[in-house]
Amino acid sequence: MNWDTFIWFALPAMILWACAGIVVYRKKSKVLADILMITGISIYTLFIIGFWINIERPPLRTMGETRLWYSFFLAVIGYVTYRRWKYPWLLSFSALVASVFICINLFKPEIHSKNLMPALQSIWFIPHVTSYILSYAMFGAATVGAFVQLRKINRKGLSDKKIFDLLDNLVYVGFGFLVLGMLMGCVWAKEAWGHYWSWDPKETWAFVTSMAYLAYIHLRLQGKKYEKTALWLLPVALILLLVTWIGVNYLPSAQGSIHVY
Amino acid sequence: MTIMQQENKRKFWQMPWGYPESITITAGIAYVGFVLQMAISDFNFYLLTSPVNLIVGALIVSLCLLTLTIRKSKFLKWFTSIPFSVCLIIALLILTLIMGLTPQTGTAPADRNFFTMLGFHNMTGSWPFILIYFTTLLSLGSLIVRRLAKFNIKDYGFYLNHLGLWLVLFAGGLGHADMERYIMHVREGEVEWRVYDDEGTVKELPIAIQLNDFDMEEYPPKLTIIDRTTGEPQPLSAPDYYQIDTKAPTGKLDGWELEMNEYIHQAVRNSDSTYREMPMPGSTPAAHITMTNPSTGETLTGWVCGGNRAQLYKSLELSEKYTVVMTVAEPKRFMSDIEVYTPDGTTKSAILEVNHPLRIKGWTIYQYGYDNAAGRLSSYSSMELVYDPWIVPVYIGFVMIAIGAIAMIVRGRSPNRKTLLTDNQREE
Repeated sequence: MNWDTFIWFALPAMILWACAGIVVYRKKSKVLADILMITGISIYTLFIIGFWINIERPPLRTMGETRLWYSFFLAVIGYVTYRRWKYPWLLSFSALVASVFICINLFKPEIHSKNLMPALQSIWFIPHVTSYILSYAMFGAATVGAFVQLRKINRKGLSDKKIFDLLDNLVYVGFGFLVLGMLMGCVWAKEAWGHYWSWDPKETWAFVTSMAYLAYIHLRLQGKKYEKTALWLLPVALILLLVTWIGVNYLPSAQGSIHVY
Repeated sequence: MTIMQQENKRKFWQMPWGYPESITITAGIAYVGFVLQMAISDFNFYLLTSPVNLIVGALIVSLCLLTLTIRKSKFLKWFTSIPFSVCLIIALLILTLIMGLTPQTGTAPADRNFFTMLGFHNMTGSWPFILIYFTTLLSLGSLIVRRLAKFNIKDYGFYLNHLGLWLVLFAGGLGHADMERYIMHVREGEVEWRVYDDEGTVKELPIAIQLNDFDMEEYPPKLTIIDRTTGEPQPLSAPDYYQIDTKAPTGKLDGWELEMNEYIHQAVRNSDSTYREMPMPGSTPAAHITMTNPSTGETLTGWVCGGNRAQLYKSLELSEKYTVVMTVAEPKRFMSDIEVYTPDGTTKSAILEVNHPLRIKGWTIYQYGYDNAAGRLSSYSSMELVYDPWIVPVYIGFVMIAIGAIAMIVRGRSPNRKTLLTDNQREE
């Protein structure tokens, strides 16, 4: 399995997820939504496993490969949190965003060579990247939830406590993974480059992103007072996160970054 | 607004302070920083070299501990409050955001403008950043002291995350000036103890390294068609490359169909311009290929080789203008077989490679580089020597934050957090 055969797995997965995202709104079709979603995820997983075996290294290096995982985690986390919190929009939105990232991979795959440079050959490589992508998926879902909550506040003048519980949990878990990803990166950097933090552009932006989520966490400790400010912080933080993840490669200030592949 | 509400409303600067005062004070600190930056330029971090950093560190710790004596003061409650922490976090966010958007050149560029005068090109050495950093250390430190004074084991997540972060900020920042980094170039078979700092100054270290052997493994290279006069890979807009892979021996290059008949990773040239396998330092990758032009049916067969200092390259000419060449192989691993000596007679030998450094007497030795032009034939190996005496508290901080992060993942926003909330509300 390689990028040429990707479409034969991606297309069925996307169609199944789309169907799941639609039927989940019908009260009688909850089980059907479960089956559709799980089948879609299984097909997608099958591709990742085959792809991994084929390229003889973990598919975590290129942008296209990290997007592959992002779609996967978003679908899985969207489904699991939907089962936990019972919000159908969680399932539809995560299915939609996962599909968007699959489409980017279909149309702009950015296929690079199989070669893994010496600095990337480390036991920290897989946990470092997966931890980040996991947290990105959580933060993506939290951003969608923030808009749902803002709409509720604007319409009813009151926030939904259950949604805030979900948002706070998503951000706490996402932040936990973000911090773990950063720490593993630090230890790895010390092993590979001699220092745990060098303010490389990617590191700087990761710091900026983590500060934004840290501000959200602290604002939320003050109860109802700064609800709207906290909610608006989530989309802002996601933009910073996207710069960290994708944008850094295009920033003039980041030319010469050791994180650009 | 009714008269009653107006009367109850707290005036600006009237205790207890909230966001308006926190924002004003944080902005004020940053402003003082910018004024200092314009007046006396960058903060010289190396002023903090030991023992100055130890004294400053002791001062910060004492100040944080001294806040125990003013535990009930409204000022301290504000200084360790959420509004002030949020403002400091946002201040750090804005400063590092500027840093992420401005190329960090370190030294001021020749054309001084408003932004370089504000220190944007060297953010971590600029006064606003330094002042916000020290304020954060004090605020976070005082908060930890205040919360530890009424210790509750249920708050373990709070202690781990905050104390861990404080340790990392404290030791990482103050210890920065004590860190030493040098590059050493050692020739094969020789012993070296002279190193270069980042300004190129030579220094002698109490560590000597002997390089027994330097070796390198390479990935199979790529093939591409180039213009024989300009050397540009074709097609110019988006060059085609064929990654040599014995499991996928066909490819397309600029309209030509490529078939690889044989690949030798470590080859030497025979007298009749063919290649045979011969693992030795001077060997080079070589591929026997057949190129077919589908539109004309033209077929060409021959050897292509990347070459190195010991062997000539070989290309397959397609026409007067174009030819098939092999790219320079990318390194897979490079390693130095070394022996390290210290004055007290300790010796250590190791195979040094990227991601596998060697630790000896407080120093860490890293595989750094080699003669890129010579590749596998490099006659020397470059190593980086790092001395970082503050690494232990930083790593303790890392471990604490890691456990705190796992607690966050496992517990989510726990009910325990809500007690903190009521606690803070009570204080407001």
